[in-house]
Amino acid sequence: MGLNIEVHGLKLAYDAQPVLEDTNFSVERGDLVALLGANGAGKSTLLRCISRILKPNAGHIMLDGTELKHFDSKEAARKMAVVPQETTADFDFTVEDIVMMGRFPYLNRFQKEDQSDREIVQRSMEMTGVAHLARRSITALSGGEKQRVIMARAVCQQPEALLLDEPTANLDIGYQSMLLELAARLNREQEVTVIAAIHDINLAVHHFNRFILLSGGRVMSAGRAEEVITPDNIQKSYGVPATTYRHPLHGVLQVSVVREKTRVEGHTKRPVVHVIGGGEEALPVLELLIGRGCRLSVGPVSAQDSGCRFAHFHSLPVVIVPPFTSMNGVHKEEHLELMRKSDLVVVPPIPFGEGNLPIFEEVEAVLKEGKPVYLIDLAGVEKRDYSGHAPQLLKNLVQRGAVVLEKLEDLPGVVDRHGGSDNG
Amino acid sequence: MTGLVGFLIFAVVSALIFGAVSIGWRSVLVILLDTLPVPVSIAGVEVSPIHEDILLQIRLPRVLLAAAVGSSLAVAGAVFQGLFRNPMADPYVIGISSGAALGAVFAMLSGFSLVLGGFGAVPLFAFGGGIITIITIMLVYSMARVGRAVPVMTLLLAGIAVSAFLSALVSLLTYFAGERLHMVVFWMMGGLGGATWHQVKVMVPYALVGYICVSVFSRDLNAMLLGEETASNLGVNTERVKKIMLAGSSLLVAAAVSTSGIIGFVGLVVPHFVRLVAGPDHRFLLPASALLGGTLLIATDTLARVIIAPSELPVGIITALLGAPMFLYLLKKRKKLRYFGGGG
Repeated sequence: MGLNIEVHGLKLAYDAQPVLEDTNFSVERGDLVALLGANGAGKSTLLRCISRILKPNAGHIMLDGTELKHFDSKEAARKMAVVPQETTADFDFTVEDIVMMGRFPYLNRFQKEDQSDREIVQRSMEMTGVAHLARRSITALSGGEKQRVIMARAVCQQPEALLLDEPTANLDIGYQSMLLELAARLNREQEVTVIAAIHDINLAVHHFNRFILLSGGRVMSAGRAEEVITPDNIQKSYGVPATTYRHPLHGVLQVSVVREKTRVEGHTKRPVVHVIGGGEEALPVLELLIGRGCRLSVGPVSAQDSGCRFAHFHSLPVVIVPPFTSMNGVHKEEHLELMRKSDLVVVPPIPFGEGNLPIFEEVEAVLKEGKPVYLIDLAGVEKRDYSGHAPQLLKNLVQRGAVVLEKLEDLPGVVDRHGGSDNG
Repeated sequence: MTGLVGFLIFAVVSALIFGAVSIGWRSVLVILLDTLPVPVSIAGVEVSPIHEDILLQIRLPRVLLAAAVGSSLAVAGAVFQGLFRNPMADPYVIGISSGAALGAVFAMLSGFSLVLGGFGAVPLFAFGGGIITIITIMLVYSMARVGRAVPVMTLLLAGIAVSAFLSALVSLLTYFAGERLHMVVFWMMGGLGGATWHQVKVMVPYALVGYICVSVFSRDLNAMLLGEETASNLGVNTERVKKIMLAGSSLLVAAAVSTSGIIGFVGLVVPHFVRLVAGPDHRFLLPASALLGGTLLIATDTLARVIIAPSELPVGIITALLGAPMFLYLLKKRKKLRYFGGGG
């Protein structure tokens, strides 16, 4: 099992509008490939060329070294099965009937389905978890069930390659994973070559191990996730700024589209805000403030911290400390400088440990100079304190005039009250 | 299926018994057995030679022709509905009937006294008109190619355009029909009056060829119901299937229309009937539609002969008058139309 698919110099135009332009790639026997690319990049068109629905204007498609056009309809259907985005199921066929259609390429015109065909149908339905629906009408199924039936039909076709065209576009997240895992399982257990056009990059990286990125009908990049899914490639092919990061649980590469740098009217009237610390506690604060057009400074944060990445992405002034070091005063002047330049200082509900206690001294210093300081959500402070001193130190800040905001949602009001200033 | 065969036989026998002159079932049996090469005799039944003539020369060919025409229309309807994935499709949807009508009306109005192979000008021209229409549609078909494939929807629309054009020509001719108007209108309503053995002999082979063409591709047509791309991905040569289906069912329609005019409703409703009861699988749908279509047309034609005997009604009126309420009843009973258009 497993099919080697090569595409050389493929060209195709709809009404003189080129969709594929000199597309080249090869997929090895047993590859598990996600075909990525923006809407209109040519993903579906490419798959429909391989599945013989469309005839390219130029170029070659080779299956195991033999040109595709040398295969007749049934031969090609024994090599490749297709799972489309959606299948019209207007007719009252049973699930079993639909799956049995996968045997079409193996039966000649006057041959009846025999016991072995029925067994293959049964196994296919069991594998995709639709055996219990065998007698139900396809018209009575949900989208997710229907798509698994179509998957069963593809399995029943016993193909060497499986082509999936946006198979998960209409499914909920549960069915999305289930369907792609099925494809991955076929690849693993039967070495079926899988090529899937997929929109959701973050979903794709969980299930696939090779990636082909199409842009403007050409292959922009192909290879492992790390080689293909880069902010630069995403920016070029999808036309949006993006960052990549590791999934916090699975460690796979993830993409996030970032908001364009906000350009709010009356920019200069917005205050300059300094936000203390980084991590997932500070990010919502940073995101909220930048969304309201504030000018920001950040710090101190450790070099690999998400707050640090945020600052770099938006080109914000930031105080950086090397990872796993304590704030030993080296950065004190830098930090004080940023706080002094700002109109107000915000302390998000970050965790405290021995390492970052010097922050309190610095904040207290600017507080004494009359800088407004806001502390967000002190209710659970004991839970995020690893030093034993933070609750007391925070209380001191409050006594010195720092204002406590019960929740993040109170912050916009505060920012609006401050308005802009001339410094910074 | 056995039940449907039973229905058909029952319809044939009833149709032979009833008519302007009623012939007892025993006589019918004796006359039929008499035609067998092996002598079989049933004692005590006197058969008048007039009855024998009525039965063998008038009723039997008419019944067989009704069976052939009804079957052809029902099968062609099933194929067009499946091919176009459209419940509104009937055998006349792509204009073969309009072409045949044009031929027939032309023959009637021009008063040709052409006789060829035992046929008058009207059926000959009707068949010719039907065939020319098929050729026209095939031409349109090849012009409508988009890249490598012709979407069935394009084909359907092209057929409707051709049909509209030909209908307009028929109307134009009808407008100038003068005293022959009655003849034209009557032909258009359709009917099996004047059926002869000769017609049966010529019609049946065409119908058989058409039927074999389409039924051999039943499984392909099943896959086509899921959409052309899906069918192609399953290994169906969709372009070939479309051409053969179109040619086969067109032959069925042309043969039916040229012998009996435009009989409506049978071709539209019979396939729906069968689908409602037995599902959309063409391997069952096509033979079942053939049997039911034949039965229905024999039954309605018998009524058409009997109701105002010795005169008779155009059979198309009866098929619609009876068929439509029956179909509505079935729809209501099944609560929802489970095929065509999803879960309902």
